[in-house]
Amino acid sequence: MTATTPAWLAEVPSRRFLETGLETRFALQPGDRTLVEPGATLVAGEPLVERLRDRRVDEVSIPAAGAAGAIAGSRWSHGRPAGRRRAAHPVEGELLAPLPGSKDKWRLVTGDHRDLVLAPVGGEVIDIRPGAEIVLRTAGRALAGAFAAGSAARGPLHLATDPFGDLAPGGIDVGRAGCILVVGARIDAEALTRARAMGVRGIVVASLPGKELRDFQASERRQRAALHPTPPFGVLVLEGAIRRRIPSPVMALFERLVGREVSLLVDPPSIVFDATDLELPTIPADWIHLRSGPNAGLEGRVVGVSGLRRFAANVMLEAARVAIDGEPPIDVPLADLERLV
Amino acid sequence: MSSEPRAFAAVDRGTATVAASLVGRVAGHWRLLGATAAPASVDADALLERLRGRLAAADPSLAAELGLGSPQGLGGLPRVACETVAPPEIAVLAATTRVLAPLAAAATSAGWRVHRIVLDGAEILPVAAALANPRISALLAGAGDPPGGDERPLLAELSALVGAATERRPDLVAILAGGLAEPGGRYETAIRPNRPGATLLGPSPDVSGGAPLRAMLDTLRGGEADGRRGLAAATGTLAEVLGRRVEVVEVGQSAGARVQASPAPGGSTVTAAVVADGALLPRGFGDPHLDAVVGWLTIPLDRLRVRDRLRELAVSPWGDAAGDGALLRLAAARSAVARLNEATSWMDDGPAPDVAVAAGGAWSVAPGPAVALALADVVRRPGVRALGVDHARLLAPLGTIEDSDERRRVIADLRDELLVPLGTVVMPAGVRGGKSVGRISVRGSSGSTELDLVPGGLELVDLPPGERAVVEIRFKDPVTLGPKARHFAVEVTGGLGGLLVDLRDIPLRLPERLERRRDLLTAWQAALWAGLDA
Repeated sequence: MTATTPAWLAEVPSRRFLETGLETRFALQPGDRTLVEPGATLVAGEPLVERLRDRRVDEVSIPAAGAAGAIAGSRWSHGRPAGRRRAAHPVEGELLAPLPGSKDKWRLVTGDHRDLVLAPVGGEVIDIRPGAEIVLRTAGRALAGAFAAGSAARGPLHLATDPFGDLAPGGIDVGRAGCILVVGARIDAEALTRARAMGVRGIVVASLPGKELRDFQASERRQRAALHPTPPFGVLVLEGAIRRRIPSPVMALFERLVGREVSLLVDPPSIVFDATDLELPTIPADWIHLRSGPNAGLEGRVVGVSGLRRFAANVMLEAARVAIDGEPPIDVPLADLERLV
Repeated sequence: MSSEPRAFAAVDRGTATVAASLVGRVAGHWRLLGATAAPASVDADALLERLRGRLAAADPSLAAELGLGSPQGLGGLPRVACETVAPPEIAVLAATTRVLAPLAAAATSAGWRVHRIVLDGAEILPVAAALANPRISALLAGAGDPPGGDERPLLAELSALVGAATERRPDLVAILAGGLAEPGGRYETAIRPNRPGATLLGPSPDVSGGAPLRAMLDTLRGGEADGRRGLAAATGTLAEVLGRRVEVVEVGQSAGARVQASPAPGGSTVTAAVVADGALLPRGFGDPHLDAVVGWLTIPLDRLRVRDRLRELAVSPWGDAAGDGALLRLAAARSAVARLNEATSWMDDGPAPDVAVAAGGAWSVAPGPAVALALADVVRRPGVRALGVDHARLLAPLGTIEDSDERRRVIADLRDELLVPLGTVVMPAGVRGGKSVGRISVRGSSGSTELDLVPGGLELVDLPPGERAVVEIRFKDPVTLGPKARHFAVEVTGGLGGLLVDLRDIPLRLPERLERRRDLLTAWQAALWAGLDA
């Protein structure tokens, strides 16, 4: 707290505007081959993992000398399938589990078709759990969202609408291919699937209703079920499910990031950018936006805390005096407010 | 807390909100000086300063006497604090569904989020993928003791998979239960020694109804200042202090808890369960969960809208607490308690409580009488019981006071302030149909009231907090109200909701048609939620 920041501001809920050193996770399935090592520094666009597309389990014999060192989750190659069916080429895959009752026979996850996945973000590999996940500490700054769907992606950021706008399906064309698009207040599933079809890499939106989210996720499942590899496409929802604008400091940040490469991450939902030369927007200490409640999305300045006040449905809540759009201050539940710090 | 300070702070930090209280010594007794709560992003120190400032403004001399006259007074203030975190995740592995069910039930009620894996008929790849889930921190594998004929052919496979899972994740805590828990046996030796994660041998879930296994799993969860463990300890002390059976139903953002405590010679007996699916909005919230919430809603919102509002509630659980948001929250809390009760149905075997307490952030913003009705709606066991709410969320932090004598002294002093009295509910079972099934007379200091008992109805008698009354009930046919009889006379205490004579069905049966159901719920709610339309 500085001399110009009143102590009571500490009572107003706050969220970090930008974070550094965000840890992101990339899910693995048994059989996927990681192409990085723990401790390695990774640049966005470098190979990260080889995903198995047609996963199957083979049985392999491990010579007695090697069986003692065989560990579930480790890679294994140069063996031959056990039994009468012999493969025409060496088998390579991930050891899954030994066959019950056998000392030298293991089950191996393998496949014939692999898709190369490139790192959507740069950073340091801090942990690899075979068949489970890769954990990466990202380089650059991160802006957190509320939730995300699809997969992590990377591309130059562009604005498709103003912070209050909707993006209709017809508003997306192939000229946007490869971009991460900021689309304002809301988008529907049809526009999302069209964006994906047009080669857009990601969508950033303030709100996404549950129905649109479920329709999009169903479409994603159908895409993934196809045998051919699909390019990455992610949706980052900044605020929630009910329509509201993108907060103005966040929009100001996006305006400064236009044309720069950003990474859209799904776990945790966030946008990561590495722009050390970027001048970040300044946020007044008393700036707030209404995070929830009937007026969610409005912005204003908090004037003071006013103690317990009675609100709709006879509910008593801690309140703050808030001036919205230059109007005289009104009492708003403190828990509905959010500062970005 | 050992040198008898003049005041102390209590802080309950949950996953959604943080609650803070100031407790001070006034005239030789501990008294609650103030309590408040805020979203979890707010620092507890800011809340304590809010309380200190109010105390100093309301009673400067008391604040000065307690050393709280200035903000510096908070610096050296002793604290009792607890924290609740999201439930950890466990994979429960067994050969057959028959064996898995009691293992999973024990883990579920010990506060773990459970991933069930059955080997019988399963393909190896999804089983291995489920065991590799990075979110799980423990693996519970079990077999019958001795193993049944249906599982014996699969035990070698089960052992191989447990060994592989612990090789893949050396940090995984492995618990072998029942027939697998042979010290130095082949199942234990299948797990590599000298790995970071522990390998534990646990009792069979069939022993004492699963209580020993549940207790073992409970110790593997949460830290020393775990809020739900504190809640259980404080409930035991409260039962001891009140000399009555107490049941606490806690609904939080990450999990729910149910604690039963009875006074016993030299202390109390406590049974507790923590259930991840008892959260206000459990992870994996799906259509059945949504239907359950919609079934309790008294506002006409379509399913899509309710789903979106609940998603908002999951993103910012502290927000939108007034107006429709309060109704939505109470509907979600009711369905959470229903899930909690279902997951802990084994706790219904004992006698019904004398005092039922609502705890947790889900109840904190609703008016007291509305919480009383919600408790009566979902805690449906025949009997007469007082209702209260842990309004300051003090129970859990007080439960972290390690010295049981000191904890008893503090709770005894605070007994009248810990809980906001919501009233008393009279809930008979076995009421037959008809226009009237009997009469009730309530004699209190402010007069007496007589009412006809109409089956299926909810009668309210005004009985303010602090007032006692004698209730005499005469039924035409015998009913169960603890014992089975026609004539009962009990002393009851008042509260914000007064006396509720609840002649509705046990369990509660509501109309299938949503509109009729909503009308009925609205009528009951209107009587207890003053100013709802304001």
